[in-house]
Amino acid sequence: MAFLDRTARSMLLGELVAGLVLTLRYFFTRKATINYPYEKGPISPRFKGEHALRRYPNGEERCIACKLCEAICPAQAITIEAEPRDDGSRRTTRYDIDMTKCIYCGLCEESCPVDAIVEGPNFEFATETREELMYDKAKLLSNGDRWEPELSRRLEMDAPYR
Amino acid sequence: MAKVTVDGIEVEVPNGSTVLQACEAAGKEIPRFCYHERLSIAGNCRMCLVEIERAPKPVSSCSFPVADNMVVKTDSPMVRNGRRGVMEFLLINHPLDCPICDQGGECDLQDQALGYGMDHSRYKENKRAVKDKDLGPLVKTVMTRCIQCTRCIRFVSEVAGVPDLGATSRGENMEVGTYVERALGSELSGNIIDLCPVGALTSKPYAFTARPWELKKTDGIDVLDAVGTNIRIDSRGPEVLRILPRINNDVNEEWLGDKSRFFVDGLKRRRLDRPWVRRDGRLVPASWAEAFATIAQRLQGVPGERIGAVAGDLCDAESMLALKDLMAALGSANLDCRQDGARLDASRRDFYLFNSSIAGIEEADALLLVGSNPRHEAPVLNARIRKQWLHTNMPLGVIGPAADLTYAATTLGDGPGAISALLDGSHSFAPMLRDAKKPMIVVGQGALRRPDGAAVLAACWKLAAAFGGLSAGWHGFNVLHTAAARVGALDLGFVPGPGGRGFESMLGGRVDVLWLLGADEFDTARIGADTFVVYQGHHGDRGAARADVILPGAAFTEKPGTYVNMEGRVQRGLLAVYPPGQAREDWRIVRAFSEVIGRTLPYNDLPALRKRLEQANPVFARVGFLPRFGAGDESGPAGDPTAMSAAPLAPAVTNYYQTDAITRASPTMAACTEIYVAPTLQAAE
Amino acid sequence: MSNFFFETTGGRVILTFAEALALLVPLLIMVAYLTYAERKVLAAIQLRRGPNVVGPFGLLQPFADAIKMLMKETVIPSGSNRLLFLLAPMLTFGLAMVAWAVIPVNEGWAIADINVGILYLFAISSLGVYGVIIAGWASNSKYAFLGALRSAAQMVSYEVSMGFVIVSVLLCVGSLNLTDIVLAQQTIWFCIPLFPMFIVFFISTLAETNRSPFDLPEGESEIVAGFFVEYSSLSFGLFFLGEYANMILMSGLTTILFLGGWLAPFGVVPFTWIPGPIWFILKVCLCLFVFIWVRGTFPRYRYDQLMRLGWKVFLPLSLAWLVITAGALMLFGWLPHAPA
Repeated sequence: MAFLDRTARSMLLGELVAGLVLTLRYFFTRKATINYPYEKGPISPRFKGEHALRRYPNGEERCIACKLCEAICPAQAITIEAEPRDDGSRRTTRYDIDMTKCIYCGLCEESCPVDAIVEGPNFEFATETREELMYDKAKLLSNGDRWEPELSRRLEMDAPYR
Repeated sequence: MAKVTVDGIEVEVPNGSTVLQACEAAGKEIPRFCYHERLSIAGNCRMCLVEIERAPKPVSSCSFPVADNMVVKTDSPMVRNGRRGVMEFLLINHPLDCPICDQGGECDLQDQALGYGMDHSRYKENKRAVKDKDLGPLVKTVMTRCIQCTRCIRFVSEVAGVPDLGATSRGENMEVGTYVERALGSELSGNIIDLCPVGALTSKPYAFTARPWELKKTDGIDVLDAVGTNIRIDSRGPEVLRILPRINNDVNEEWLGDKSRFFVDGLKRRRLDRPWVRRDGRLVPASWAEAFATIAQRLQGVPGERIGAVAGDLCDAESMLALKDLMAALGSANLDCRQDGARLDASRRDFYLFNSSIAGIEEADALLLVGSNPRHEAPVLNARIRKQWLHTNMPLGVIGPAADLTYAATTLGDGPGAISALLDGSHSFAPMLRDAKKPMIVVGQGALRRPDGAAVLAACWKLAAAFGGLSAGWHGFNVLHTAAARVGALDLGFVPGPGGRGFESMLGGRVDVLWLLGADEFDTARIGADTFVVYQGHHGDRGAARADVILPGAAFTEKPGTYVNMEGRVQRGLLAVYPPGQAREDWRIVRAFSEVIGRTLPYNDLPALRKRLEQANPVFARVGFLPRFGAGDESGPAGDPTAMSAAPLAPAVTNYYQTDAITRASPTMAACTEIYVAPTLQAAE
Repeated sequence: MSNFFFETTGGRVILTFAEALALLVPLLIMVAYLTYAERKVLAAIQLRRGPNVVGPFGLLQPFADAIKMLMKETVIPSGSNRLLFLLAPMLTFGLAMVAWAVIPVNEGWAIADINVGILYLFAISSLGVYGVIIAGWASNSKYAFLGALRSAAQMVSYEVSMGFVIVSVLLCVGSLNLTDIVLAQQTIWFCIPLFPMFIVFFISTLAETNRSPFDLPEGESEIVAGFFVEYSSLSFGLFFLGEYANMILMSGLTTILFLGGWLAPFGVVPFTWIPGPIWFILKVCLCLFVFIWVRGTFPRYRYDQLMRLGWKVFLPLSLAWLVITAGALMLFGWLPHAPA
C-alpha cells in the first residue's frame, strides 16, 4: 500500500508541483531588497561608518590629543601628534586615520573622553585611489562639519545606553 | 633587628625601620604618594595605611617605626576600607583631566585609583581650582592636580638644597609654590617631575608630545657631564623625546641634572646629516665618497708628524680607539683629548680619576674642593656631597671663587696660595682636614686648565698624601672631570705618543691635517690658516664651521657606545634612534676611511672593536662594575708643587646649561641660559 | 512584375534572405530579452529586484551586457586546438539559428515548410551536441572535457525518450510536416490527450538545452563552468546566444507539438481576433517562463539521478505510452489516413 502510495505521488509529481507553487507565490510577494542608490535602508544610531572629528558648538575642535583612540585602535590605523597650541591648550598637530587599515570596530569612538572622534552614518565614501583613503585631520574635521547635525542626534539617541 | 610578621610572613628588619619597609621586605606592595626612599618622611598622604594588631586604628606605615613581634596586616577589610576612603578624599579635588594630562599612563594616582579606589565618585560639589605657578622654563605646573604630597618641597629643600618651594595656607587651601614668583634655582629641578606622583609638575619642553606607551625605552649613558649618569632614552620613531634617569645607587641614585634631561631638542637642531666639503672657501654638500676622496687626496705625501687628531668631550671610547688606530696607521703620534688644555697626567690611572668614587663620598668625613664648582660641573655628584654634609656635617673647604654650592663650605682662598698654606699647616682648615679619617681632595678642571695646572695637580696629590688621604683602604685624591670622554680617552692613551705633539702644539699651523673628532670646545681661530681640518661630529658647531671636510657622525643617543665616567667606571649606552640622514656611527666612519686610504683597520663589527678595546686597556672588560681601591703608590704626578702661580682660580664651567655642541643647539638650554645664567654673568661684569 | 521576380532563382535567394532576416532579428532580440527576463524572474522568485539601473526598469541591460562582452579580451588557451576552439561556438550558434528554418509561426509562415520538418528539427538538435563536445575537447581543460562528456551522455539519453514522445504525436497526426501537426490540433491540443507525454517532453527539453535542474554540463559549483570554462568575449557570447536560442527553439517545438502552435485556445471571439503569430509568441513565452520558473525552483540533479531518470523512468514510460496511444488509435479507429 505504501509502495503504491509513494509511486502514485511520485508519478503525479506532487512534490514538484508543490515546489513550483511555492516559488510562484514568492514571485508575487513584496521584494525584500530596496532600490539601493535611490532608496536607503534605516541605519541604527550605533552604525559605524566613516569617521569624523567633531567640534564644539563654538567652533573649537573637541579633540584634546589624549591619544586614547590611537592606543586602543586594534588595527593601529590612527596616528596622532600633538603639541601645545599658542593658547597653551593641548591639541593635535596631526590626526591621521588610515581608512584602509581601519576595521570599523568603533573602539576609538568608545574610548574618546570628549566625543571628538566618532563613526558617522556615512558608508558611501569609496574612492578611486588608495591615497584618498588616508584621512588627515582636515578631512576628518570637514567630515565632522558636514555630518554634525546627524552626529549629535545619533549621540543623543544612544546616550541612554552608554 | 626586629622581627615583624606581615600577612603571616615573618621578616627581620633593622631597628628603626618603618613598617612600610618591613612590608616591602615581606614582598607586600603598599600604595603610597608622599613616601619616597630618598626623601624624609612626611606621612601626609595617608595612602599607606596598614592594620597593626592591638592598634585601635589603621596606622600610616611609612612613618610608624617597627617594634619587635609586631603583627602587620596589609590586606584586611580595615586596610582596604581605609585606602578606599583615603583615595576618595584624594580624588575629591583632583580634576578629571587625565586625557589632557601628560602624566596619564605613568601616573601613580591613576594606577592606585584603579587598584585601590572606588569605581565611581560620590562627590557632586565643585572641585578646588588652584592657580598655576611659573617655575621657569623646565617645569610646567598644573597645580589643580596637586595632591599635596610635598615630595617636591622635600626634594628641593633636602636633595637639591635650594629653599625655593614651600606650602602656603592649610587644609583645602594649601598650595605648593615659590611664594614669590621665581624660576626654580636648582640644576636638579627636573627631578621633581619624576617625583610628582600626579600631573601637577610635568616637563615643559615635553608637554603634550607623547604618551608613555608610545615610547621606546633605551638604556643609555649621559655624556653631558663626566658623572656617567645612567639614563633611559625615550624615543618614538626617529626622534628622542625625553630623557629620564635610571636608578644606579653607585652613580646617580635616581637623579639627573637639568642639562642632561632637557637638552633633547638640541638633538634635532643644527645636525650634520650629510658630508660637506669646502670648495673655494665655501662648504658644499658632498657624498661620502667625495668627502673621503678629498681627505685622502690631501693626506697624500703628508708625513705622519704633520697629521694630528683631537678627540672632543662627547666621544665614545670606540670611535676614539678607531681614530687612534688610524693615526697610528698614518704614522702619527699627534693625539690629544685635552682640548681645554687641562694639565692631566695620564701616566698613572689614579692621577686622573675620581678615586674615592661617587658612592665613596658617603664615607668621607672632610672634603676640600680645589678649583671646582661641582654644582655646575656635576650637579648629581654635588647632591651626593650635600647628602653626606647633611648626614655628618663634615667640614667642607673650597679653594677657588666663592659660590653657592647648596651646602656650607668654607672658602679657604681664591688661589693656589691656600694649598701651600694647607701644606705647611698654617691654614685654619688644616686641623680639620688632619682630623679626618677619610678626607677627600677634589681637584677641578678650573685648577688644571691653568698654565701651572700640573703644579696644582702635584700639590693636591701632596696634600692628599700629607693629610692621610692615601692609604690602603682609602684613596682621597680625586679629579673632578667635566668631559664625559676624557677618562676614556686617557685610558686609551689618546695623548701624544713618543715624540708626538700635544693639543697646543698642533695649533697654529704646526700640523698640516687636523682631524677633530667632535672637538668644539676651543677657539678654532687658533688653528693655523693653512691647516686642513677634518671635522667628524654630529652638530654644526665651532669645529664644523672651521672644517674643510665635515664627516657627519652620530650623537650619543644614536650609537652603541662605551663611556668611562670620572671615577673610572666603564658603562655602555645603547642605540636609541638611528643617526639622521647620511650620518653614521663614528667608528664606522673611521673604519670606512681607513679602507679608502688602503690602511684598513682590523675590525669589522662592534664585538671585534670591543675586543680591541679590551686589548688596548683591560679596564674596558669590566663594564658597569667598579672595584674600590686604595692608594698603592704615593709617588705623585709630574709637576713641581712649588711652581704654582698666585693667580686666582677660575671656574671651569661658567654656563652650566650650554657646555657642548648639543646643548648649544638646544632652544630649551638657551632659554635656561637666559633665565639662570645671564643675570649672574651680568652681575659679575 | 514583382511576383515574377521572386520566381527567378536570384529572387528566391533574396526573398529567403529577407525572410531569414525577418525571423532572426526578432529572434536575437528575443534572446537578449530572455536573459533579461530570466534575471528578472529569478530575482522576483528570490525576492530581489533584478537589473533596474540601465534604462527604464533596466530594459537596456541586455545591450549593456552585450557591449561589455564584446569589449572583453578574447583569450585562447595555450594548449588548445585553435581552429576547433573557435569553431565550436560558431557551430552551436549556427545550428540554433538554422533549426528555425522550419518553424511555422503562422499558417504558411515558415521559411521552409518541408514535409519532414520534425525530422529536420530532430537532426539539427542532435547535431548541437557537437558544438559542446568540440568546445570541451578543444579547450584542453579537464573541466571543459568533463562538461562535454556529461553533455553528450545527457543529450543522447534524453533524445531517445523525446523520440518516442514525438512518435506518439506523429501517430496522432499522420504527418511529419509541422504545419500539419499544428492544424491537427484544431479540435484539441495534444497536451490534453497526451498529457504525460507533454510532461516527459518538457522535462526532456530541459535536459536537451542543458537547463537547470539538468545543467550538469555547466555545473559551475562542480566543474566551474563546464565546457565553456575557457571561453571569453565573443566566443563565449556565441555560446550564450546559442543556448538561449535553443531554449526558444525548444519552447517553439513544445508549442507546435502540444500547445496548438498559432491556434487560439478557443475558436471563438474574442480569442480569434488576436492574430496567430501573437498566440504563438505568447505560448512560447509561457514555456520560457516555465523554463525559468523551474530553474528558480529545483536544485541540480546528481549525475546518476539524471541517467536513472532518462533510462529507467522516461524511456519505459514513453514507450508504454506510445503503445497505449497506438492501441487506442487502432481500437477506436482514430488513425489519420486510415486505410478505408
